Amino acid sequence: MNGDMLLSILIPVAFLSALGFILAALLVLAEKKIMNYGPCDIDINTGEKKITVKGGSSLLSSLAEHDIFVPSACGGRGSCAYCKVKVLEGGGMIGPVEDPYLSPAEREGKVRLSCQVKVRTPVKIEVPRELFSVKRFKGVLERKRPLTNDIVELRIRISTPPSAIEFIAGQYIQLQSPEYKGRESVMRAYSISSSPSEKDHIELVIRKVPDGICTTWVFDFLKEGQQVDLSGPYGEFHLSNTDAPIIFIAGGSGMAPIYSMLRRMRETAGVRQATYFFGATRHRDLFYLEELRGLEKELASFTFVPALSNEPPDSEWKGERGLITQVAQKHVPDPSKHEAYLCGSPGMIDSSIKMLTNGGMPANKIFYDKFS
Amino acid sequence: MKQPPDDRAKNFEASKFSGDGFLGGDPRPVDEIISDDTRDLERTGISRDDLATALETAYLKARNALGAIVEVAPGVQGEFFESRGRIPCPFRGCGVFEKGEAALSVSDSRKPVIVTSLGIHMIAAHGFFQGRGSRFRIEPVETARLLNIGGH
Repeated sequence: MNGDMLLSILIPVAFLSALGFILAALLVLAEKKIMNYGPCDIDINTGEKKITVKGGSSLLSSLAEHDIFVPSACGGRGSCAYCKVKVLEGGGMIGPVEDPYLSPAEREGKVRLSCQVKVRTPVKIEVPRELFSVKRFKGVLERKRPLTNDIVELRIRISTPPSAIEFIAGQYIQLQSPEYKGRESVMRAYSISSSPSEKDHIELVIRKVPDGICTTWVFDFLKEGQQVDLSGPYGEFHLSNTDAPIIFIAGGSGMAPIYSMLRRMRETAGVRQATYFFGATRHRDLFYLEELRGLEKELASFTFVPALSNEPPDSEWKGERGLITQVAQKHVPDPSKHEAYLCGSPGMIDSSIKMLTNGGMPANKIFYDKFS
Repeated sequence: MKQPPDDRAKNFEASKFSGDGFLGGDPRPVDEIISDDTRDLERTGISRDDLATALETAYLKARNALGAIVEVAPGVQGEFFESRGRIPCPFRGCGVFEKGEAALSVSDSRKPVIVTSLGIHMIAAHGFFQGRGSRFRIEPVETARLLNIGGH
């Protein structure tokens, strides 16, 4: 193929590509600047809340303008799939960006990515009620202390606005890391470990993720006295209002929501029988031992059972050894009358659910915060 | 949705999801990384599906050991490290994958192979083993040898 022939092919291809790009840009611009959808109503949870927004924006940003913050990690780019809500009417067709993130059951249930739904007509949606109380906060890091070689505790004073956070033990916040060293600002979820009664502070337990954007910032750059941005509270993981005996199972930073629940139980002089199985690899990976032994003294019906899966046999560790699921099964061979609260890695949650259901616990009595 | 090649390349760079990106400083375009690795793997007679399956087996053994160090293949130790959240596939359109990583190592000083659910998916679905220099790069031939699969 000679040069002239190549040019005669490339020029039209380049021309058509450029034309396509210009037309697409014009369409986007026209939608933003010229198209006027007027005010559009969003009906949330069948009349529980009604807001009117300027048409044309995404459902995610329209809700955020009215202080309803749906969790999102990608900032509305349609790639994290965190911002799912039910769109009962007015959502339009499922677009190609959100298509791969929706399971058949979610499609059937009218679940959509709120960042990909454009509000152009009246819309009816369903969101968890908890989202109504989500707010953005600024805080100041008062204390940062290592708990193990890869876990830190952060204590943050909520400053503005407002200077109090209302949450239920078990919920989580999203912490925003700023841009640093060429890395983008991101939001990441961390469970609150403090008690809900302490409304002007929150505490978090954060495990370092190798090369993690937010945890590298927390471990290597965040200093005491520094301002932090967060939003919350999020999540539906919390204690039920029953008297059923409790099995807590957690590992690593999964300690946080369970510790918050236990602190709350202490304050309310809880009498529910509760056993907390906490799994770690080695003795050096355990933390809050003194605090939890203290809780055992203060809560008459509470037992703490730490277990190590990989502690050298000749060490001084006198407690339980083995996988946390095996240890829990040994202590509670018949969990059928219990409720279980699990927090940790997906592998730990999956194994715990299997062990508990095999033991006769109904699936609807198992509550969990699976790190996913 | 198909993205233009220039846009797609951005998905592999550092982003909100991957602090260091998927290329690790490897100057080769994604398609070239895939074709080079495919050729290397073909020489061993191992399919990428076989390798992905072996990696998934090892990954799940480590994941289900809840942090304990376990043997995931003859002579290969695996240890799982939890991480909260999900990560989308940079090829887009494949959904999101749980974070968390299994470090596979033998008892010598070689660097561990870091296996993730997204990494396994990218090998199986796209033939992408990630760029050289990436912490998550899986050298196809070395890893096949490590897991003792195929006829290399």
